[in-house]
Amino acid sequence: MSAVYARRAVVNIVALALSGLATLIGLVFLVWILWITAQNGLEALKPTLFTKITAYADQGGLANAMVGSLIMDLMALLICAPIGVLAGTYLAEYASGSRLGASIRFLNDILLSAPSIVLGLFVYVIVVIPTTELTDGRITFSGFAGSVALALIGLPVIVRTTDEMLQLVPGTLREAALSLGIPQWKLTMQVLMRAALSGILTGVLLALARLAGETAPLLFTAFGNNFMTAHPLDKMASMPVTIYQYTNDPNPALHAIAWAGALLITLFVLALSLLTRIMFSRKKVSYE
Amino acid sequence: MNDLAAASAAALTGASAPAKLKVRDVHFYYNGYQALKGINMDIPEKQVTAIIGPSGCGKSTLLRIFNRIYAIYPKLEAKGSIELDGENILDPAYSMNRLRTKVGMVFQKPVPFPMTIFENVAYGIRHHEKLSRADMEIRVEQALRSAALWDEVKDKLKQSALGLSGGQQQRLCIARGIALRPEVLLLDEPTSALDPIATGRIEQLVEELKHEYTIVIVTHNMQQAARVSDRTAFMYMGDLIEFDNTEKIFTKPGKKQTEDYITGRFG
Repeated sequence: MSAVYARRAVVNIVALALSGLATLIGLVFLVWILWITAQNGLEALKPTLFTKITAYADQGGLANAMVGSLIMDLMALLICAPIGVLAGTYLAEYASGSRLGASIRFLNDILLSAPSIVLGLFVYVIVVIPTTELTDGRITFSGFAGSVALALIGLPVIVRTTDEMLQLVPGTLREAALSLGIPQWKLTMQVLMRAALSGILTGVLLALARLAGETAPLLFTAFGNNFMTAHPLDKMASMPVTIYQYTNDPNPALHAIAWAGALLITLFVLALSLLTRIMFSRKKVSYE
Repeated sequence: MNDLAAASAAALTGASAPAKLKVRDVHFYYNGYQALKGINMDIPEKQVTAIIGPSGCGKSTLLRIFNRIYAIYPKLEAKGSIELDGENILDPAYSMNRLRTKVGMVFQKPVPFPMTIFENVAYGIRHHEKLSRADMEIRVEQALRSAALWDEVKDKLKQSALGLSGGQQQRLCIARGIALRPEVLLLDEPTSALDPIATGRIEQLVEELKHEYTIVIVTHNMQQAARVSDRTAFMYMGDLIEFDNTEKIFTKPGKKQTEDYITGRFG
């Protein structure tokens, strides 16, 4: 009898040690990455990063890349958030048990894990080439094309979280509203959306955090620009692409700027994650 | 109501109160599985009818046919007829909107909407009627008073309903239901998630509400059925075994199965 307990105790200790070790390895690399980014980034952080554009190269900053990223990220969000929320709503409220719904969910999961370079190429083919042909080469790569590519990164994240958050709303809330004679569309828009609001917003912010760090979708779409522009049909600079280009350059001064840019993106994503955490914990509505 | 109908009502309920709901040969299927096997009963007007029986006997299923809330799920099917004031509510032509204003429902767990206390009550009314602000305030107050909740919430109508206690939330759900001035109120185990004090308040409320509404209550709690209802129906395995005056059901049940259930020999 006691042999059984002793064996269980040993197995427990081994399991605990193994899972603890795995966590430790994961954390070590995470902290290491953050540490190196912070160390190199802080060293290179200077005010001209925010005031000068990339045209001055190692004497310049990242101002145009910051503006470009901000514009493209927000435009991408404007494209993917409404579509994503509505599609997620359709999945949860109108197609939850159907075969069509299951197929759409499956396809959405594929989009979620699609290599981002493929999405960039796709947008190159459906946006960049047609606009080039239609305008005789006046509009080629553009911030708009970049934001379409980024929207494709964010879309499946929003679809999935909206779908999941609405499914967490208890069925009895639906029954209660319907039993008052409230029609389905009103129930969905005014009751269920409100109940799931903090979860849905969390999904939108997560999507923003995800697409803000993407480089590959922008390579063939927004291309890059050494000058400041806010026009969505111009070639547009972005933080990730600029970092990518600077790290490929032999000039160590550009490496330093790239580190600073990497730190800034990391802080942006970190801030977004914290914001989502705060929102989700504060407005959590408990229906058990 | 003519004499013949009154006589048949008397035969089915064992009472002289006119029938508000006439259930005739109702069968119900969950994706092919038969959950109700030909139910016949007359629900008397402005009285409390309790439906009791072991889990899975079909009592909630029957209740959920009375306002056709089952219809929101696919593959569920009801056959037979249920007349509300002489009109068959199972007829697809019977307007769902009209049915749900006439028949209100309160669920097992309190489910307030994620809105203010005031909005919880006003929301349903607003969908069916255009009222001025002042009229709406009166209607909301009336509903909250009827649900014996007004005194507790009158100073915090603009606060979220989710901050209320479970018992208060359930009374809010009752207020929300009666705000539409229904004729029938369906209560599906309304106290099973509440503590004894909150349960007592709901039961007291049911007692008061029956003067204005026809109430059907499904309950697991036999003492509750005995306390609040005028008539009690005992169901078992999708059949209505016995339906009679509550006093008779709990003192001299006509059927052996009823007696066994009441005395705790099964279920």
